[in-house]
Order: sequence, then structure tokens, then C-alpha cells
Amino acid sequence: MRTFRKLALGASMLALALSACSTGGSGATIKIGSDGFDEARVVAEVYAEALEAKGFTVDRAGIGLGSRKVTAPAIESGQIDLKPEYIGSGLAFYGGTSSNSSEQNKTALQQILNSKGGGITVLGYTPAEDTNAFVVRKETADQFHLAKLSDVAPVQNQLKWALATDCPTNPLCAKALKDAYGVDQPNATLLDACSGPMADALLKKTVDIAELCSTGPEIKTNGWVVLEDDKHTQPADNIAPIVRNDLLAKVDQAKFKDALNAVSAKIDTATLAQLYYDVAVGHKDLKEVASAWLKSAGLVS
Amino acid sequence: MNVITDTLAWLTDANHWTGPAGIPTRLAEHLALSAVSIAVAIALAIPIGIYIGHTGRYARLVVNSANLWRALPSLALIGIVLPFTSAIDPQLGFKVYPTLVAMVVLAVPPVLVNTQAGIAGVDRDLVEAARAMGMRERQVVRQVELPLALPALVAGIRSGAVQVVATATLGAIFGSGGLGRYLVEGVAQRDDGMTWSGVVLVAALALSVEGGFVVLQRVMKK
Repeated sequence: MRTFRKLALGASMLALALSACSTGGSGATIKIGSDGFDEARVVAEVYAEALEAKGFTVDRAGIGLGSRKVTAPAIESGQIDLKPEYIGSGLAFYGGTSSNSSEQNKTALQQILNSKGGGITVLGYTPAEDTNAFVVRKETADQFHLAKLSDVAPVQNQLKWALATDCPTNPLCAKALKDAYGVDQPNATLLDACSGPMADALLKKTVDIAELCSTGPEIKTNGWVVLEDDKHTQPADNIAPIVRNDLLAKVDQAKFKDALNAVSAKIDTATLAQLYYDVAVGHKDLKEVASAWLKSAGLVS
Repeated sequence: MNVITDTLAWLTDANHWTGPAGIPTRLAEHLALSAVSIAVAIALAIPIGIYIGHTGRYARLVVNSANLWRALPSLALIGIVLPFTSAIDPQLGFKVYPTLVAMVVLAVPPVLVNTQAGIAGVDRDLVEAARAMGMRERQVVRQVELPLALPALVAGIRSGAVQVVATATLGAIFGSGGLGRYLVEGVAQRDDGMTWSGVVLVAALALSVEGGFVVLQRVMKK
């Protein structure tokens, strides 16, 4: 009996080992990850399906992983191979100075990533931009005459704030608000950036000013006002896939890059907002939204 | 950096022991939320448990559905309740009530099931003897069944309380206070010292609650 058990165990281990080999055998599996919010998730899914259409194998387990404090070590350590990155925020995360020029942001981010995790490559970025947006309800904007972030400082303590969970240590959030605008809100309600709860808090008047993504569907739906970032603290945030170099070495590089660059080139801001809207407000399935768009854009047949 | 030294450094930093985000405040928030949840759960579950335990009516139905409740994920429940409670009160209805509701739902089953079992488990001969002495049903419950079922009741409250103290951390995802804030913010900010301090504090609190009940149960036995 005991030998039988050992044999059975051995056999099942062997089966496991074999199945692990078969997925990794023909060309590497590309482990895709993303930030936690819907926009990042749907863009990651779009890249995943575009790669699959070209015959690559992908693993989606890392999609929706969390904030950059989580995704950055994940890609550096090889837990994920590819992530759609917001190049301005990504650059700021690594301590670089992000600007309004997308090309400069990409170059600067590439220089930093050359030495991270054995080398990470920034591929072509989307024409689409999504920036961090500080948003108020229409009636709040009217009541306090708010149009730009500079208007907020004098009345900041009359407003209830919701900021991103990583705000206190994010150079583009708490530090930027304080240095550029004199806004200091250590007791703000902290919620996930661009998440449902963040939008809900503004909608339900739990807070008066919230940090959302500029492409956020709730902004349009509810007629909210995006305060102009008049001191230009938020960088140009186009999206580019960032990929580990050791993965690039394992795949047909030209084919891989072409597949992703073709997709990125077609994602403009309106497309991005629509994809985000369909997932977050339309509650459509991530895969459906991604594949429908890829087909309509002529990227897959 | 080493997780243990990070955590110790975080816990011993004097700045983390003052102010609205400091440990005493977060601990008080956590305890208040847990205490209210348990109190509401007791107020709901014990009368029902006594009724079904004493009469035997609906016992199987109630106990089985209470056990089904346990399968409800607290996180989902918070998300489901939030739109309703926040429509009533934009502040507490967003940050406190959803977690409170989820914690009550979590704590009711152990208290209810234990109360029912405790009451129903009282020796029927004793109950009959009490009736034979001329006690009314109400007196039978108060003077015979309840005192005998008390250890079971307390065991139910203990198990509910420990679950609530450990699970109340979930509310932090939706902006609620309490020790869960250190977990949510620690992960988002990749501050391992903060995350692990949160873990240590929650575990210590759950163990103290457990320990408190152990002492209480010992005292009751004497």
C-alpha cells in the first residue's frame, strides 16, 4: 500500500512537471500584469489578446495586481513580464522628473528601466493620455468658484478630500499638491485610485473632491468638474507596454514588438475612455470589450 | 530590508502613536466597531436562539440558514450594502455602516447556533421538574435553561468576537478606520513595516479578545 502511494505521488508529480514543460516548451509564456483599476486592466487584456492572435501564449494572472508599489517589484523580479505602464507616473515613481513631453518621459523612463530587473524595455506609447485628475461635483465647483487647483488652496479645509491610497508617499500626489498648491490634507479619506469606491465617495457626497483618472467614465456621466492642473504637476501620461528584456530574448522580438506597437498606435484618448467606460460603467466582460475593440480596429480578424 | 526590523522600527516610532492615524486612535476605532457589531449581533441572535432552543420550533430552518450566512463573503457584503447606507448618511453610511452590517452578519451565526444548542441541550428532566414545580415557561427559561446554557452562549460570543476583530480590517478598503488602514495603506505604499505592524496589531488584538474570554469562562466555572 505504502509503495503504491509513493508511486502515485511520483506519477502525479511527473504529470505536473510535464504539464509545466508543455506550456513553456514552444516559446515562452508571457506573464501579463497591470495596475488594479479597470482602465489598466482592460488595456492589459487588449495587449494580451493581440499577442494571442499572433500565436503567443499569455498568462493573465497578474492583471489587476495593484498600485505601482506592487507592480514595479513584480516586473523587476520577473513575477510578471509585461505591464501597460503610464509613462509619466512610472517615471515619477522611479524618482525621475516627468514633463509634458511624452517622448521625453519615455526616454527618461527607458534610461531608468535599463538597470531595473536585468533590463526592461519601454515599447511604443499610445496617443491616448490619461492623467490624474482632481474632480469635484458641479455644485461644489459653483459654490466655491473652483475651476483650477490653485482655487482650491484657500478653501481646502472646507472640503472633504479623497486621495489615492498611495498618495502620502507618491511624489505626484501629496508632495505635488503641497509644493505646488499649498494643499496639505493628511487626514483625507484614502481609497484606491480611479476605483469604484473613489467615484462612489464623490457621488454619495462622502467627500467633495476626489482623485480620479481623467478618462474616468464617472466624470462624464455625472457632469463632474475636472480642476485644471494650472501648475502642471501631473505629467503627460501616455500608456506604453513595458517588457522584461529576458522575455524579449525568448520570443520572436520583431513579431512581438510589432504586435504591441500596432495596438498602442490605435489607442487614442477617446478609445481609452470608451474601453474604460464599457468595463467600469457598462459592466461588460473584460475579454468581450477587448476583443470587440481589437476587431473593430482591424487588429485581429 | 528585514521585515522584522522594519516592523519593530515602525511600531516603536513615536509618530505612529499619536494623531488621527496613530495606533491608539486606530485601535479605538477598531474596538468600537467590533464592540458595536458584537452587541448588535447579541441583541439579534440571543433572543432568537432562546426562542428556537426553548420551543424547538423552526430550529432546523434557523440553524441551517444561520450556517448558510456564514458563507457570505464579508467583502462582497460591504460592497453590496454600501450604496444603500451611503444614500442614508454620506459619512457614516460610507465609512462605517457597511462594515458594521457585514460584521453583524458574521457574528450572528456563532452566537445564534450556540444559544440554540445550549438551551436545547439542557436536560429535559430538569425542565420537566421545573414545570412540575409550577414554574411558568418564562421562569423555566430565565431560572433553569439560561443559567445552564450560559457557558455555551459565552462560547458563541467568543467565537463571533474573535472573527469580527480579525475581519473588521476589510472596511479599510472602503475608507473605514481601524487597524485595517495599516494593511491597506501599507500594501499600496509598499511600506512593509506598516503592513506587518498592522498584521501584528490585529493578531495581538484577536488573541487578547480570545484570552479575555478564556479568563471569563474560567471565572464562570468557579
